[in-house]
Amino acid sequence: MSKLKEYFYTDWEAMTASDWVGMILTVVVFLLMVALYFYVLRPKNREKLEKQRFIPMDED
Amino acid sequence: MDASAEQKYNLKVVRWFVVMSAIYLLVGTLAGTYIASELAWPFLNFDIPYITFGRLRPLHTNAVIFAFGGCILMAASYYTVQRTCGTRLWSDKLAWFVFWGWNLIIVAAVITLPLGINQSKEYAELEWPIDIAIAVVWLVYMFNFIMTMVIRKSSHIYVSNWFFLGMMVMITYLHVVNSLAVPVSLTKSYSLFAGVQDAMIQWWWGHNAVGFYLTAGFLGIMYYFVPKQAGRPVYSYRLSVIHFWALMFGYVWLGAHHLQYTALPDWTGSLGAAVSIAMIIPSWGGAVNGMMTLSGAWDKLRTDYVLRFLIMSLAFYAMSTFEGPIMSIKTVNALSHYTDWTVGHVHSGALGWVAMVGIGALYHMMKHTFHVEMWSTKLINAHFWTATIGTVIYIVAMWVSGIMQGLMWRAYDEYGTLAYTFAESVEAMHPYYAMRAIGGMIFVVGVLLMVFNVLMTVRKSASEGSVQKARTATVTA
Repeated sequence: MSKLKEYFYTDWEAMTASDWVGMILTVVVFLLMVALYFYVLRPKNREKLEKQRFIPMDED
Repeated sequence: MDASAEQKYNLKVVRWFVVMSAIYLLVGTLAGTYIASELAWPFLNFDIPYITFGRLRPLHTNAVIFAFGGCILMAASYYTVQRTCGTRLWSDKLAWFVFWGWNLIIVAAVITLPLGINQSKEYAELEWPIDIAIAVVWLVYMFNFIMTMVIRKSSHIYVSNWFFLGMMVMITYLHVVNSLAVPVSLTKSYSLFAGVQDAMIQWWWGHNAVGFYLTAGFLGIMYYFVPKQAGRPVYSYRLSVIHFWALMFGYVWLGAHHLQYTALPDWTGSLGAAVSIAMIIPSWGGAVNGMMTLSGAWDKLRTDYVLRFLIMSLAFYAMSTFEGPIMSIKTVNALSHYTDWTVGHVHSGALGWVAMVGIGALYHMMKHTFHVEMWSTKLINAHFWTATIGTVIYIVAMWVSGIMQGLMWRAYDEYGTLAYTFAESVEAMHPYYAMRAIGGMIFVVGVLLMVFNVLMTVRKSASEGSVQKARTATVTA
């Protein structure tokens, strides 16, 4: 356990502005991904999304 | 005959891109087969500097990736965006600017690379004036694509266009940042980055050229042409949405896995490998999505040779997107890196996935833009088998030689000294290099058949006047 704690140890004082920008962007994008997964896989949205798969078939 | 499409859309520029992509695939694979033969039989250098491996190898990669790949991507994206958005390209003039601009860039590459004018950055060898030209033409290509979507008649933007747009946006900034350089003359420049930063930028570009150009772009092709050729909608649209966003989010992290055991901080390589493993999930989701589109209609593979190319490409896509992450793991990488295993992996993706899905789309567009059946269906079938057999021979040779190389380089005797000299490992490679060259030759035979078939189809279309008939036919609403 202590080894795991050591592995995830972060020296917050040493974080530069670039580090903060990168980290915040990454976390925000990750959360957006989670929200997207929730939206896409929600049964309520199934019909709305799946009807789009006919676009190439309907074009003619 | 699709007269309404001929009258409504700009199919002429698509036709030109399609024919040029067939020719460039022949040029690129011929160059590849020649340099593979040079490795097996070095006398083929003939002591002429312009045709040595170092000069022709970038010509081969640029020809297959940017000449063939670029032309087929531009053909497919301009074809797809018009048909799925129900509108003509925003600007015909800009489309022709892209066609001639891109082809002039390819001519510039064919001249400069054998002369040794080279930035020494893998997959970004072209010198700074050509880099600027690439950026300009690419931006015009993207602008015309976006504007066509802006004036679309449909409410929803079909997923294949998302993949094309993702590729365009990402390649713009990858190409610009990686090509930043200080020019010292018209033909020489030095990278703006140095040391490990230069290596990191190089592989951030290198892997994302694979991820966004050769994967996302060709997935755009897959999501339109597999359903279209199969005559069935894609298996799951929701899966395609997840596939897209996971790919966009994940791929940018992977470049560091090319630099395991180097001066790059250890954690970056580990992170690259971890995200690589995670990427198996969306990649296989996409491959399954494409294959399951044929669910209930697998019998079509018996008679539809174009569909065979498309489905076989998905099998190779699944295989290479599993193999890549495995090779990125440090323990596997310790054996595989710097060996021919990497070359085998790259070609299972390049020949098996990129070329095959591109060829499938090429045959589809030939029929639907020239408004005639292909000159010979038998030649398409012969092409399919030569492409498949050639690819398998190539990658098996490289797997065996690569693993053997890795094992020979790390073998120690009882005194702790290396068991083999480097020259001994090179000698052991010879049969596999010969086998690889033969695999490449078989693949080239198939491409020759395709080019012949394409040119005969163009001739057939001209003699029947099929394009002219489509232009003047009366279209009923």
